[in-house]
Amino acid sequence: MNCTKCGKKEVMMERKHSGQRLCPECFISGIQKKVLKDIRKYGLIEKGDNVMVALSGGKDSVMLLDILSSLQNRGIIDLMAVTIDEGIQGYRQDGIKIAENHARRLGIEHRVVSFKEYFNISLDEIMALPFPRGACTYCGVFRRWLINRTAREMGATKIATGHNLDDETQSIMMNYLEGNIENLRRIGPRSHPKSDKFIVKIKPLGEIPEREVGLYVVAKGLEVHFAGCPYSQESFRAEIGEIIKNLSKNHPTIMYSTLRGFHKIKTALKKEDSRNFTMDNCIKCGEPSAQELCRACVFCEELEKKKTH
Amino acid sequence: MKFTLINNKKTEQLSFKNNLTIKELLDQIEKPLETVVIKKNGQIVLEDEIIQEGDTIEVIQIIYGG
Repeated sequence: MNCTKCGKKEVMMERKHSGQRLCPECFISGIQKKVLKDIRKYGLIEKGDNVMVALSGGKDSVMLLDILSSLQNRGIIDLMAVTIDEGIQGYRQDGIKIAENHARRLGIEHRVVSFKEYFNISLDEIMALPFPRGACTYCGVFRRWLINRTAREMGATKIATGHNLDDETQSIMMNYLEGNIENLRRIGPRSHPKSDKFIVKIKPLGEIPEREVGLYVVAKGLEVHFAGCPYSQESFRAEIGEIIKNLSKNHPTIMYSTLRGFHKIKTALKKEDSRNFTMDNCIKCGEPSAQELCRACVFCEELEKKKTH
Repeated sequence: MKFTLINNKKTEQLSFKNNLTIKELLDQIEKPLETVVIKKNGQIVLEDEIIQEGDTIEVIQIIYGG
């Protein structure tokens, strides 16, 4: 059977739920169209935006950069990138090199910022301390702090991240199962920050399945860091991801329906949000925080204590 | 039937029965289909593709745990 769009013989992928079979050219252009359509549909980018991509060098952020560079070429946006060096020996350096190569190739401003430089400790050093929390807990808090701070410093008006459909579905299920309705409310293609010191975050790949992201970068021959984070196995996210992947084998549309269903209940969830707190600035670092100390500073203090004991 | 397998950057020559499909090969090397992209002689192919004598099959892992 040939490509269902153009009739070419070289079919590289099949969408089991729709019976669509695509050649590389039709697959690549279809994905690009879908992402650009979602950007318009959810109002993720406006003309003149300075968009900073959180670029790890992995498949998701490389694909995102590739598609957003078409908007830069058309003079719609200014593109820039940041890479976070968490300090994970034998893992992060390869990704940084690849991120640097892409930024150089596209001629965009790119910064590499590290946990060590800003928080005076690497993720490896954190995990070597006695009784640490899960690696993803520290990493998530420090990474968000660092990405937002760097985005402001670079003059970004949007932060684009490479979260894909699998990531979004995992977040929905994780927060639902943990009863974390507060976090559930925040899931979606763009953030609506309560402080103007928080730069708006957008997820243009939120409706693209992870496997199709992988197919895209391989089909386009993009240089990508294919490797798993050594700390990811410990996470609850990884457990949920495994369950959803297994379910998807016999129910190939389950991630789409989870996301669609979530969009429907999100409106109700927002209405239920009666809390009316004000954002202030963290007394230590000055970043926006609902508490006296932001979570990054709470963790820094906690880690200092662990270091001295 | 002999072919070349590139898996995890390791290259090896394998001998298998005729008409082996990509799906059967992945079962043999215990790689779940949904985590990999397969190239046959440099072209991405589907799981039902039949491996021929002298082919080069590359298994690219695109999804890792977590």
